[in-house]
Amino acid sequence: MVTVSATKVITGNHAVSYGALLSRVQVISAYPITPQTQVVELLSEFVASGRLAARFITVESEHSAMAACIGAASVGARTFTATSSQGLALMHEMLHWASGARLPIVMANINRALAPPWSIWTDQTDSLAQRDTGWMQIYVETSQEVLDSIILGFKVSERVLLPTMVVLDAFLLSHTAEPVEIYDQGRVDEFLPPFSAPYRLSPGAPQALGGLADPGVYFEFRVKLQEAMERAREAIVEEGERFSKLFGRFYGLVQEEHTGDAETVIVTAGTMAGTARAAVRELRSQGRKVGLVRIRVFRPFPFSEIRRILEGRKRVAVLDRNLSPGHHGIFYEEVKSALYPVSARPLVVGYVLGLGGRDVRPEDIQAIVDDVEKREEAREIVWWGVRR
Amino acid sequence: MSTGTLTWAGVEVPREEYLHPGHLACQGCGAALAMRLVLKAMGGDAMVVLPACCWTIIDGPFPYHALKVPLLHTAFETAAAAAAGVKAGLEVLGDTRTQVIAWAGDGGTFDIGLQALSGAAERNEDILYVCYDNEAYMNTGIQRSSATPLGAWTTTTPEGHPEDRPKKDLMAIMAAHRIPYAATATVAFPDDLIRKVRKARGIKGTRLIHILAPCPPGWRMESELMIKVSRLAVATGAFPLFEVEGGTRYTVTYRPAQIPLKEYLKLQGRFAHLTEDQIAVLEQLVKARWQELLDLHARTHGQAEEIPVVPIGG
Amino acid sequence: MDIDPTRGLPETPLSWGDTRWNKTGSWRHMRPEVRERAAPCAKACPLGNPIPNVMTAVSRGDLEGAARLLLERNPFPSITGRVCPHPCEVGCNRRRYDEPLAIRSIERLVGDWVHEHRTVFSPGETGKRVAIVGSGPAGLAAASFLRRQGHRVVVYDRNDRVGGMLVDAIPSYRLPRSIVEREARALEEMGVVFQLGVTVGRDVSVEQLLMSYDAVLVATGAHGERTMGIPGEEHFIGGLAFLRSVRRGQRRPPGRRVAVVGGGNVAIDVARTLVRLGAQPVVLYRRTRKEMPAIEEEVERAEADGVEFQFLTLPVAAAKQDGYLRLTVVRMQLGERDRTGRPRPVTIPGSEFALECDAAIRAIGEVAETDFLPREVLDDEGWVVADKVTGATQRKGLFVAGDLVTGPATVVEAIAAGLRAGRAMDRFVRGEPLPVQEKPLPTVPLKEINLAYFPKAPRVPIPELPLSTRSRTFDEEILGLDVASARGEAGRCFSCGSCNLCANCWIFCPDAAIHLDGDLPRVDLEYCKGCGLCAAECPRGVITMKEELAREEVVA
Repeated sequence: MVTVSATKVITGNHAVSYGALLSRVQVISAYPITPQTQVVELLSEFVASGRLAARFITVESEHSAMAACIGAASVGARTFTATSSQGLALMHEMLHWASGARLPIVMANINRALAPPWSIWTDQTDSLAQRDTGWMQIYVETSQEVLDSIILGFKVSERVLLPTMVVLDAFLLSHTAEPVEIYDQGRVDEFLPPFSAPYRLSPGAPQALGGLADPGVYFEFRVKLQEAMERAREAIVEEGERFSKLFGRFYGLVQEEHTGDAETVIVTAGTMAGTARAAVRELRSQGRKVGLVRIRVFRPFPFSEIRRILEGRKRVAVLDRNLSPGHHGIFYEEVKSALYPVSARPLVVGYVLGLGGRDVRPEDIQAIVDDVEKREEAREIVWWGVRR
Repeated sequence: MSTGTLTWAGVEVPREEYLHPGHLACQGCGAALAMRLVLKAMGGDAMVVLPACCWTIIDGPFPYHALKVPLLHTAFETAAAAAAGVKAGLEVLGDTRTQVIAWAGDGGTFDIGLQALSGAAERNEDILYVCYDNEAYMNTGIQRSSATPLGAWTTTTPEGHPEDRPKKDLMAIMAAHRIPYAATATVAFPDDLIRKVRKARGIKGTRLIHILAPCPPGWRMESELMIKVSRLAVATGAFPLFEVEGGTRYTVTYRPAQIPLKEYLKLQGRFAHLTEDQIAVLEQLVKARWQELLDLHARTHGQAEEIPVVPIGG
Repeated sequence: MDIDPTRGLPETPLSWGDTRWNKTGSWRHMRPEVRERAAPCAKACPLGNPIPNVMTAVSRGDLEGAARLLLERNPFPSITGRVCPHPCEVGCNRRRYDEPLAIRSIERLVGDWVHEHRTVFSPGETGKRVAIVGSGPAGLAAASFLRRQGHRVVVYDRNDRVGGMLVDAIPSYRLPRSIVEREARALEEMGVVFQLGVTVGRDVSVEQLLMSYDAVLVATGAHGERTMGIPGEEHFIGGLAFLRSVRRGQRRPPGRRVAVVGGGNVAIDVARTLVRLGAQPVVLYRRTRKEMPAIEEEVERAEADGVEFQFLTLPVAAAKQDGYLRLTVVRMQLGERDRTGRPRPVTIPGSEFALECDAAIRAIGEVAETDFLPREVLDDEGWVVADKVTGATQRKGLFVAGDLVTGPATVVEAIAAGLRAGRAMDRFVRGEPLPVQEKPLPTVPLKEINLAYFPKAPRVPIPELPLSTRSRTFDEEILGLDVASARGEAGRCFSCGSCNLCANCWIFCPDAAIHLDGDLPRVDLEYCKGCGLCAAECPRGVITMKEELAREEVVA
């Protein structure tokens, strides 16, 4: 147990492990996949040494990992897993099951490109392809945010009864080390008490969870799921404020930087936001009116924040490290459609870049700002950095 | 009265029912009877984890439930994994007493669920896995599974091209995993079934009971023949009753009686198209299987002579 | 079954009800009918013994329960358990599968157990008085029944012993005297009064009895021995007289080589008795072995004793010669069938031959003496006319039963007749209507027994005296079973048509729609889907499937 708050230089993956440790998870069921492995390795050590009083089930696939999490959560245990790309794709069926059963499971997903061809490098398509599964999705930028988002993930999930996926970039975040404040357990306990499940299967009560629901009732369960997502927006902010009082850091739905009088705004998520942050600061020092919006919470989608921040801007460049083939970059699609009812709509241009881990540097983003400011319209994907 | 027990063939059976009437099983369903008997053997002290299978429907639609124990519905391939999760959850919450029963059909065990079962078995998860085997995907309309016996008609092995692969050997697979206890049973011998479930109940680790549960519509027979067919499956040797402990110690429950395989096959429309030659092939398979089993029993117990013959008259 | 989500739905799809609202009984087109039927053994038994129920009790070691069941129909199981020709075993369904149940031996065990554990039963008094003439099996059965109803019972017998044929004819190697005396003692303890050495018709008339008693039963049997009507008849000893002398202690045979004429039970008893006295009997019978009216089992035992049989022979004359008896015997052949269905024996002309013997005993049938009875109850030939069900005669208050009415028959039939008369007399003295013929229940044939539940098993061997010694002693030749063997044998009983709560129906119902909360299984028709498994797996034909009735009649 962490009795005294301490700052350690740890990787993003280990920040996940510490987040789960501090959240006192009770059942972990996980399958190894690059680049998630360090998450589960450290958690295994925590369990083996007795530091974490949890059952660790070394399942034989990710699909089984999520199935076991669902089993444990259905009887009221606090449950956790972690995966990436292929593993997340394999879990797809069970992601729906977890949200449909309204189970507050928290999972860390390391964004990694999907095969074929094989790739282990960062790409957001894997988690975004699961955006319809009813999971809350939090895209994080720093190792500290990773740890904090795990704890916050449980807090919000257990409040609205929806699972949370905390998403971090492969290698760029998972394997790079930063100083992280690892809080003392006592303070975390104060923020996140033991899970008291309002709905669970209990040996004394003969109930069935998830039986056949005919057309007369299935619809209403989906409505409830949506309503829970809508409540989650407020919950995320409220719990973020509570967290900030205890731990001094606030996390909301989106993060803005230099948006005040910005005419051009970059919208992105994950570590690319960190890169964009450097570019924006450099451009500002040159007197350019550029701002940055980092989308942190992708599900539930932060409609009001996006509309509020982007209304009236001249240009918006959405940077997608992902692709929905036959359509566009996914953040771009969703941001653009969110802006539809806004009267003073900016020109929104979608840039797809960095797929399969291709490096994105601050210079690239500066060049994108130059590019977007030149455009009058953009109907197709703007590929950035493709080698042809 | 629903308290106390009664004695059936020397075995104490609780009078209490853990299965409500009004459930949606077809008339004469072997799977329904199997659940009824297994829950009696468990004394109702259990939670059930149920993947997609006939029982998903039998249990009744939302908001109803046919059992007096809690039940988690789960996806088709996940019975063993979800059950392992439920058990872990119960344990960390301080309940080390409630047993978790994964209740899956042959499809969810032999085929799509085999990986999860193998994983759980290899890890020796503390679950009781019951496969109720009606030898095809009955819930979706009688399609073949790897549990479908050689020669059987199903909708995906129609008469022009009946099942051309022998039944997958689940018990051998379980033995290879060296789980503490695996056994076969069937509903026509409820005393034997209950005894084996009770034995499994007292063991920690992965325990598997493979129950032959005949399906009147799927096997193309009248519902009133369900028990007779189950009995003849054992009496003719088609479905051997035996136990495997630790993956290496084999104990055969009964030897077959001198009843020709045809007596079992002829009751079922799914075998009606078989020729004499084809039946002879099936008989050979049964014979070869028995040779193996008796050898395994002898290797364990020193000799096979004392195995009682299945108690059947007629 | 439509849930209305507007009336509140839980946040997660957790159930809240069970399936009992769903009355799956509406799915049926066949329904199970639980109905007990008669077993062929019980139907064949003249007493209607509830054999399957007795077997069930014995198999469970409940001899007291078995006794209670048996005594309701048979007051003397330790007697019939020794001498009955067991039509039950002939009718036993198991006979056509492996081997019939040793029902008689088990009945004997129960009967003997009753005496070993007897408690005195003192019935309440009704104030009615009945007289019974004749203490043979018919009279004793009626006495037992009527005394239990609380009436004062007095039994008259011209003999100095109680029991009639049971003690004065049937040889002791079949039925020891002590067994009958035991019954008599039990009846006395219950309050039955025996007036022995009183000849009704001489010492007291039937009329006097009818005046002094509320009802009178005459069950004096058939002791008149038929004569052959041949020259030299006087040289023949009567069979019954011979048997009686031996029962009284006579141990010297009438000769070494003794001819016995006849083919019925008395002839066989005589022959086997002669063997035990050291004589060499030869049985002369005018038809073949197949037509002999004697109990088959006794004929077989006679053969095993070494009795010689000469079939298709008939003595036509007898003469004393040099201390021997010379019989003139003709040979017979079988001709047309007579009124009784048996082939008529026809003398072969010119077939006479001489047979020399030391003595000859005739046992060609017995007739009832009826001259002491009021004229009005007799027919032209002097036989008593009586109602078959009640034994009531033309004369109000006068009942008859047993061999007196039927001519020589069996002990069990006599007991049955005595009980029928007893039941009728009980009603009569109370002023209630007399009983009518009960409708016979349908029986369960072998094909309705689910043989899967009965692995083949041999009948228990019944212990006997060794063959080498038994033909030299009057000790009881068939011995009793021990309780363990009897339990095992009783366990072979199919219990045809009688539910013994084996619980097959209950355990095999996939819908938990069968309840065992009474003497018979109860089908919950609200849920029973009519799958037919209960009927198919009932080992004994108690449950059958019937077509479902119109819907309106089903909905509860």
